[in-house]
Amino acid sequence: MSRSSATKPDDELVIALAGQPNCGKSTLFNAVAGFKVNTGNFSGTTVTYTETKVLIGERTVRLIDLPGTYSISANDVSEKVARDYLLSNSVDVVINVLDSSILARSLELTIQLMEMDVPMVIALNMFDEAQKKGIEIDVHKLSRLTGVEAYPIVAVQGSGVHELFEAAIRVAREEYRYIKPVYDKDVEECISRIMHRYPQALRELNPVNERFVVIRLLEMDEEFEAMAGKADPAFLEYVSENRRLLAEAHAWPETGVFASHRHALVLDLFEEVAVVRSRAKSTFGEIVDSFIINPVGGLITMAALLFLMFFASFWLGDLISGLLEEPLDRLGQMLPQVLSGKALVFASGLYDGFTAGVGIVLPYLIPLLVLLSLLEDTGLLPRIAFMVDGLLHRFGLHGKSVVPIILGYGCNVPAIMAARNLEYERDRIITLLVVPFISCSARTVVILALAGKYLGAACTTLIYLGNIAIALAVSFFLSRLNVETSPGIIMDVPPLRKPYAYVVFRKVWAMTYEFLVFAWPVVAVSSIVLAVMSHVGIDAYVNAALSPITSFVLDLPEELGITLFLGIFRKELTLIMLNSALGTADVSTVLTSAQLLVLVVFTVLYIPCIATISTLWKEGGWKVALASVALNTSVAVVIAGIIAHVL
Amino acid sequence: MKLDDLKQGTQAIIARITGGRGILVQMASLGLYEGKKIRVVQSAPFSGPILVEDVITGARTMIGRKIASHVEIFSDEA
Repeated sequence: MSRSSATKPDDELVIALAGQPNCGKSTLFNAVAGFKVNTGNFSGTTVTYTETKVLIGERTVRLIDLPGTYSISANDVSEKVARDYLLSNSVDVVINVLDSSILARSLELTIQLMEMDVPMVIALNMFDEAQKKGIEIDVHKLSRLTGVEAYPIVAVQGSGVHELFEAAIRVAREEYRYIKPVYDKDVEECISRIMHRYPQALRELNPVNERFVVIRLLEMDEEFEAMAGKADPAFLEYVSENRRLLAEAHAWPETGVFASHRHALVLDLFEEVAVVRSRAKSTFGEIVDSFIINPVGGLITMAALLFLMFFASFWLGDLISGLLEEPLDRLGQMLPQVLSGKALVFASGLYDGFTAGVGIVLPYLIPLLVLLSLLEDTGLLPRIAFMVDGLLHRFGLHGKSVVPIILGYGCNVPAIMAARNLEYERDRIITLLVVPFISCSARTVVILALAGKYLGAACTTLIYLGNIAIALAVSFFLSRLNVETSPGIIMDVPPLRKPYAYVVFRKVWAMTYEFLVFAWPVVAVSSIVLAVMSHVGIDAYVNAALSPITSFVLDLPEELGITLFLGIFRKELTLIMLNSALGTADVSTVLTSAQLLVLVVFTVLYIPCIATISTLWKEGGWKVALASVALNTSVAVVIAGIIAHVL
Repeated sequence: MKLDDLKQGTQAIIARITGGRGILVQMASLGLYEGKKIRVVQSAPFSGPILVEDVITGARTMIGRKIASHVEIFSDEA
C-alpha cells in the first residue's frame, strides 16, 4: 500500500491508540495529552472519539484515542467504529496498547491489527504489573518475531512513553513494511487460492488489504460477506467452499475454524516470548479481590460503597457548601448598596447564577465525581456488575447495564455512551431508556439542596430509593414489551488496580472544567435572562402556558412553570431559579413540605436535559430519544401527580 | 458436562461452545475457546454469572449462567 506519510510535515501525522478495554489506553492518552495544545471531539456516525494535538519532543502530532476493542470483528458499536476508522486510511501509525499482565489475550488483537496492514508499534503497558505476576516478557524477541517494534511502558507513571512515541513517529515517517502473520500451511494455501480469484469489483468497492478481506471472509464477517456478495456472488461462494474444506480437514465447525488457527498462532507466539513463573504469594489486590467477589464480602463492599456515596455527596457537599455560604451571602448583600435600577436586575441575575455554580453545584458535584472515578479506575464496576447481574435479570436488565447505570449518577451523557458496550440491541435500548431515570449529579444537587435541607435525611434517602425502584420498574415494564431474552452477560473482569491520585485528579478536573466552561455560563446567562424576563414580565406567559401541569396536576405555584421549563436545559437551573422565581431565599416559607416533595420528584423524573436527549438521539436514533422524553415525562406527571393529590 | 455444572474451584478444559456465532466470537475475543484450561473462581448470588479464570494467563471473565450452559467442558472430575 502506498503511503504519503514520509513526506508529511510532523504536525499532520496522525497517531491512533488501539487496544483492548482496560489496557490503559486512555491513561496513556492522558499521560501525553498533558502537553496538550488543544482538544476536541470529532464524531463518526454515532460515536465520538477523543482527539488531541500533542507535543512529542518538539513536534506536534494528532493523537486519537479509539474506543477499546477486544477484536476487530465488529461485535458491537465500538468495535465497528474502531475498525472503520483504521481502514479509512487516515491513520499514519497505530500504537497497539497491550495489557502485559494478560499478554496472551492482548496479542489476539495485535495479530488482527497486523493483518489490517497499518504501520504499527506495540506498547507493552503495565509491564511492572506483569513482572509482579511473574510474567517475564522478552521484548526484543516479540519485536523480532512479529516484525513490529515493541516497547515496555508503565503509562500511569509515564515511564517508557517518550521512547514509544519517538518510535511511532519514526515508523510513521519511514517506508512501512507490511508484515503478515503466517498461519499453518493448509490455511496459507487456502488463503492464496482465494486471493487468486480476488474479483476486481471487490477491489474497487473496498480498496483495503486483500489478504485482510479474505481472512475476514473466512471468519464469516457479515459486513465483508455482504460487500463481497454485492461485488461477486460467485467469489463469495468460492470462499465458503474453501472454508468448508478447511473445516472438514480439521474436524472443526466452520464458524470457528479460522479463529482457532489464530488462537494457536497467538499461543505459540506467547510461549515464544513469555515465561510465566508461578508465585507462592498472592498480591494485596488479589486478597482484596477474593473478598469482594465472595457473595458476603461483595454485599458488605456494596453497602460500604453506597454509604460512601451518600456520605460523599450529602455530608461532604453540605460541609463545603456551608463554608461557602457566608462569604457568598456577604457579596450578595453588597450588590444593592453599590448598584441600582436596571444594573441591579442584571447584576443580581448574574450573582444568582454565579453563586449557584460555586456554592451549590460544585460542592456536591466534586465528591461524587471523585467517587465515580475511583470506581472506574480500581475495577470495582465490573465486580458490582458480577454481584447484581442475577438480581437485575429479574427486572429485565443484566449486569452489563450496571456500568452505564452507575455512571449515570455522575452524568447521563457518558452513561448513555457507555451503553455501546452492550452487544444486544434489546438490552442496549432498555438501558438507554432506563439511564435517564437515574438521578445524575445535577439532579442529586436538587434532591440534596431541597429535600436534604427542608425535608430531612430520611425523606432524602426515601427519594433516592424510590428513584431506584422507579428505574427498575421501568426496566421491568420495557422488558415485558419485548420478551425475547438476551443470552446474558460475558464480561471481562480486569485485576483490581491501585488508583493513582493524579489520574483521578485529572479526570475530576476534566469534568469540573467542563462544568465551569460550558455549563456554568449557561447557568449564569439563563439566570440573567430570567431576571430580565421577570423584570419585564414575560415569564408570566410561560407560567400561564405551563399552568395546567404546574397548578392543576402538581398543585404547585404557577410561578414555578418557568423554572421547570429552564430545567430542560440544565436540571440545576430549576433549583437555581427557584429563589428568584418565588422571590424568597427560604423556599419553605412559600411551599409546603408536600409541594417541595412533589417539586423534587418531578424535577428528578421529567424530560431528560437537552444534552441527554441529543446523546440519546445520536446513540439510539430519534425514536429512542422521543420515547425517552415521552416515558420520562409521563412517569413524572403520574408519580408526582399522585403524590400531590394524596398528600 | 457443561460449564454451569462445574463446582467452585474446579478446573476444566473447554470442549465446545454452542449457541451461535455471536457467543462464540464474544467468548473468543475474551480468550475463551476450545482447548482453553479454565477454573471456576466463584458463582455469583441470585443465580448470577460464573467467574472463570484462564489458568495460564490468569485473565478473568464473568459468564452468564445461560451462556455457560452452552459451554461443553472436559472436567478432571468426571
